[in-house]
Amino acid sequence: MTLYEAQKNQEYTIAGLFVEEVVTRRLQALGLNDGTKVRVLNKKKRGALIIQVRGTRLALGKHLSSNIEIRKEQG
Amino acid sequence: MNDKKKIRVACVGNPNCGKTTLFNALTGSRLKVANWPGVTVEKIEGQTSYEGYEIALLDTPGIYSLTCYTIEEKVTRQCVMDDDIDVIINIVDASSLERNLYLTLQLLELGKPVVLALNMMDIVKERGMEIDLHRLPEMLGDIPVVPVSAAKRTGLDILLHAVLHHYEEEKGAEYTLQYPEEIENKIAKLEVMMQAHYPTHSSVRWHAIKLLEDDEEVKSEHPIQVGNIVDKSYEKEIISCKYAYIESVVKEVLFHKSRKAATTDKVDRLLTHEWLGLPIFLCIMGLVFFLTFTIGDALKGVFEMALELFSEKAGAFLLRIGTSDWLISLIVDGIITGVGGILTFLPNICILFFALAILEDSGYMSRVAYVMDSIMGRVGLSGKAFLPMLLGFGCTVPAIMATRALETEQDRKKTMIITPFMSCSARLPIYVIFSEMFFPDCAGLVAFSFYVIGMAVAIITALVLNRIQKGHENNSLLIELPEYKRPNGRTVGIYVWNKLKDYLTKAGTTIFLASIAIWFLLNFGVTGMVEDTADSFGAVIGRLLVPVLAPAGLGMWQIAVALISGISAKEVVVSSFSVLFGVSNTNSAAGMAAIVANVQAVNPAFGPLNAYCLMLFCLLYIPCVAAVATIKKESGSWKFTARLMAFQVLTAWLFATLVFQIGSLFIS
Repeated sequence: MTLYEAQKNQEYTIAGLFVEEVVTRRLQALGLNDGTKVRVLNKKKRGALIIQVRGTRLALGKHLSSNIEIRKEQG
Repeated sequence: MNDKKKIRVACVGNPNCGKTTLFNALTGSRLKVANWPGVTVEKIEGQTSYEGYEIALLDTPGIYSLTCYTIEEKVTRQCVMDDDIDVIINIVDASSLERNLYLTLQLLELGKPVVLALNMMDIVKERGMEIDLHRLPEMLGDIPVVPVSAAKRTGLDILLHAVLHHYEEEKGAEYTLQYPEEIENKIAKLEVMMQAHYPTHSSVRWHAIKLLEDDEEVKSEHPIQVGNIVDKSYEKEIISCKYAYIESVVKEVLFHKSRKAATTDKVDRLLTHEWLGLPIFLCIMGLVFFLTFTIGDALKGVFEMALELFSEKAGAFLLRIGTSDWLISLIVDGIITGVGGILTFLPNICILFFALAILEDSGYMSRVAYVMDSIMGRVGLSGKAFLPMLLGFGCTVPAIMATRALETEQDRKKTMIITPFMSCSARLPIYVIFSEMFFPDCAGLVAFSFYVIGMAVAIITALVLNRIQKGHENNSLLIELPEYKRPNGRTVGIYVWNKLKDYLTKAGTTIFLASIAIWFLLNFGVTGMVEDTADSFGAVIGRLLVPVLAPAGLGMWQIAVALISGISAKEVVVSSFSVLFGVSNTNSAAGMAAIVANVQAVNPAFGPLNAYCLMLFCLLYIPCVAAVATIKKESGSWKFTARLMAFQVLTAWLFATLVFQIGSLFIS
């Protein structure tokens, strides 16, 4: 599934970034790598969402979130 | 004779970690600080001295990584790479250590002396966390780690001492992270090749690593034949290694991590709420403008009385010392009327900037980007493009500069086109005066309508541009949301003071000169000094434009003169009205009544509709010379700037004409 489909207040693990190369680099520098845990803090129905990653909050637009693959954390 | 030793020190760190606050504290500067990422977009140099050293300190725009993304980040990279930087102060937000250390590891690889300044330790404490200050430097190869509070100005001497000490130590290269053997082997081979090609190069290892990451800039700056060593980009592996190491550092040095910051999340639940977010934002802005107009108006009486008194006394004094009539006219009718009239708006301006300062320093700005993202997305921009627009409510010049933080050139241009439509503080005096003169019952509402119209025109323009350019839909928001905090008194003070200083400087220079110029244009004609302004040069020039402005309900040569002079600064529209209609105290009830009477003596048909169109025209046409110069500087193109100016004039004329023509139908 993608981050775009994520539920509010749930934890997920990043499984892959499928965006433009420059943006991928940026996301990686911000600490979003394969295996990084993220928590969805807030989201709008068809738009941006706020995630918590490595102790910071990031707002991501729809284009980014729908191209980031995630796995649901077990348990 | 200056026998002091000189060193150059750069402040580098993630966006919004407090670089500028620290820079201000160390150098005594008063640069703008606020609580959102991307406030500083330029490299700024300051001086300080300590223990016999003359320290040149550089403040840089925040970066997350040495691999760059936007223009302002390239500035920082360039600055860090410069060989004349002796020491790097890496400012780290201790409350988000994990992300901040990523840049630290990269800086260490550069091989220059790095001193870590751990900022925001108070937030760490507040959250019930603790950082092991002995273990942290150990894990980073014993670089100095100094806890500081940039806001409270503590730890600064220790930091400077550490910088000098670390500089004098002259030990070898800084500690660097060890990668897996496969990567280390490749780095070693590349290092040898780099050394052979560029024997004087100072950061060979860093360059070798960047070559492995397939970094475009490094490849073009220092091209070498890497052959089959770089068989693919190792970027992902290298980044993962760094973050894996950071995780191990954080595990060792950070305690009680689980107790999280609840307040920010609670506030965010409301302010970034799916449905309520946007209405709340609009209410906040409404409140800002409401306060600007009401409190400002309540305070302006004092200024008016002072001005009136000063104007009278100055006239009497000049007469007594035997000044010639024309000089008295220049000073009293030209300068005092033009400049003084503008000064009575100081309370309004002050309150507007005070409110904006609080918005910016509280941490709300980033949330506005998030809240506005869906609307901006429809016109092909990301929510981040709304931040320059919001700054545009204050002044167009810094707003245009703030577009540097946008990711693509296309987004930047587009934002530069629409930002001038956001109603800046210089247009405020025009609304105050004309709304109160012609709409005494609903002045506040009329004034507020221009803020809404300005925003609407900006968004419609973006929409049209998006259609024309067949805009890419993948503009996407990516912004960090900082913790909310109580706005800092000093920060807000600096912010408001800087703006007031700008305003006073403008009154003393641009508006002063414009007032003199207008006075000359109105008092001199082909025959020399004229009795009736209708024979003046100003009238001759103004009359040429009357046919063009007539359809918009602005067919008076006086208005044409006011609008032309308003290009120097928008407040000048008001001061030229004062000079044109010979009223010294425009912003008072008596002054306003006199202007209305004088205007209607010239053109009896000039009523509320005409006044509305005048304000509308002022909202939309060329903002001012300073804004035009900034647009030229930031876009780097005269063609773009000229076309934008033409577009602004055309838009203003079209909207004003439309409103006047439709409005006239209803009135008659």
